[in-house]
Amino acid sequence: MASTLTRAEAEALLYREARLLDTRQLDEWQTLFAEDGVYWIPIDETKPISENASLIYDSPARRDERVYHLLHTVFPAQTPPSRLLHFINNVEVEGRGDSEAVIHSNQIIYETRLGDFSQYGLGELRPIVASMRHEMRLVDGAWKIALKQILLINREMPQGNLTFII
Amino acid sequence: MNAFDNAGSLGAEGENRDELVRTAPHAFRVHTRAYTDAEVFAREQKQIFGKIWVYVGHESEIPAAYDWKTSHIGTQPIIVTRDQEGRLGAFLNRCAHRGASICREAKGNSKSFTCPYHAWTYGIDGKLTGIPYHHEPNGYSEHFQMPEGLYRIPKVESYRGFIFASLNSKVQPLLDQLGTAKLMIDRRVERSPVGELVLRSVPYVARFKGNWKFQSENIVDGYHFIQTHYAFVKLQEKYQDTTGDFGVHKGASISEMRKHRIQGTVYGCPQGHGINFRRAANIDDLVTGEYADYHKELRALRGEEEFGWIIGTNAASIFPNMGMIHQQIRTWRPVSPDVTEVRIYLYDVKGAPDRLNEGWLRSQERFYGPAGHGMADDVEMFAVNQQGLEASAMDWLILDRGIDQEKLLDNGDYEGMLSSETAQRAFWRRYSKLMEQA
Repeated sequence: MASTLTRAEAEALLYREARLLDTRQLDEWQTLFAEDGVYWIPIDETKPISENASLIYDSPARRDERVYHLLHTVFPAQTPPSRLLHFINNVEVEGRGDSEAVIHSNQIIYETRLGDFSQYGLGELRPIVASMRHEMRLVDGAWKIALKQILLINREMPQGNLTFII
Repeated sequence: MNAFDNAGSLGAEGENRDELVRTAPHAFRVHTRAYTDAEVFAREQKQIFGKIWVYVGHESEIPAAYDWKTSHIGTQPIIVTRDQEGRLGAFLNRCAHRGASICREAKGNSKSFTCPYHAWTYGIDGKLTGIPYHHEPNGYSEHFQMPEGLYRIPKVESYRGFIFASLNSKVQPLLDQLGTAKLMIDRRVERSPVGELVLRSVPYVARFKGNWKFQSENIVDGYHFIQTHYAFVKLQEKYQDTTGDFGVHKGASISEMRKHRIQGTVYGCPQGHGINFRRAANIDDLVTGEYADYHKELRALRGEEEFGWIIGTNAASIFPNMGMIHQQIRTWRPVSPDVTEVRIYLYDVKGAPDRLNEGWLRSQERFYGPAGHGMADDVEMFAVNQQGLEASAMDWLILDRGIDQEKLLDNGDYEGMLSSETAQRAFWRRYSKLMEQA
């Protein structure tokens, strides 16, 4: 079936997303999402969202706000800014008929803050380790992200600065 | 000597190396060592965390018989329990035998605790109930002085669901230590028509590079908001309520938010608490708006005057390790002079409409947590502060703001203006009194 998402296509989508995030092309990253696409980093993914706080639960408006915050304002937690590099592994595609698919992947993202590396919190290399679930939807012939869910392996534990897009 | 060589010293250096807080008319200074020194940190454990009531958890975290959770009193790891009769207890998380940690999970429900090392077993009431191979020939003799059980924390009490414990059996009554902080707890609890707050599942946890006292000072620091959180103020101006502020941060422009930040009164308590009270200005809107039924019910229950205070934007730093702001209970524990762990527990106001509770939840999620648009900047500033104090050739920090406007009330509280440093001075007055006690 022509509209089934292949693993090669899924990998290409994930690689492109990673490159946009690593190069801070965040407006472009926004275009990967479906109109109602959600960006979600839960603490407890098994509990109802309405009763539980997440690390991030971004509806489209909130995702837009997060991107605006990063690109157009100056704030202490990103001054100096983070530099990121995504590594992607274990890609699997779970087909869901003609117009939906789920991409599973494991990702390691290395993050470091620039600036005077003699100071606390700057110049350290920090790994962020997660399994990701991209729920994809075919919209006008293009695969869009309906949900990007990130399960950090240490999601219930103390977190460092996560004021960038994973 | 250049007058600016050691700004803030208020004159010649004293001989007293232990001096951590120095006051003079119109001035209030804190020494760098109070945030950085390992000896000061050890003394805090003994003189503060070892002597007074410390917040250790909330009853809604251990609602049923045999529930327990781990917690801390300063650096001391403890277990907080609810026994078969529903009574609260607390014990050091340490086997009486050779010291192994008894609980390795953060919370649970069990009738007994078994040490993972030699399997000594204790009841939920802490009593030692079993020693493997006790009476074998190579076991314990008839003269063995068997411990009664786990080391029991001498004092454990709850005030309206907030559990406090003390290592000091002669500690003052809890309500005496709470002082005006009792009113803060009351006002938050009484947002619930049935008088109950219920903590939500998993807290936000940050382990930051910075001294614990930065968090005590900052949760009621009205002065930093517009500066540290300037980007958030810009977001608020641009996105208003579309991204779920839910009225929490009050105001949709920079000037409105700044105005809001200087309204209200701050109380600096002799017990070390700093409390901001702002009475709600929009009562008419609340009792006619979307949640009119809830607000009208509360107004009828609490009376017009107190309703305004209950529903207002209050915040407190409750000495030494607890904070209340918005829809959260915050607690922090010192790990070392320059490392602190802070937990933010969000709660449900029982009896409030579900949509209101969810709205508050999403609003807290937007600002707090490691990816939030506010908290991450505060945590960053704590590290920046700790970093700055590496420059220890300069001695003193300046906490003079609003000192001439604050006045001493009959109950011992100082009343000051919001965005002054009245709350922070109260913290340090209590701190230095405790640290100097024999």
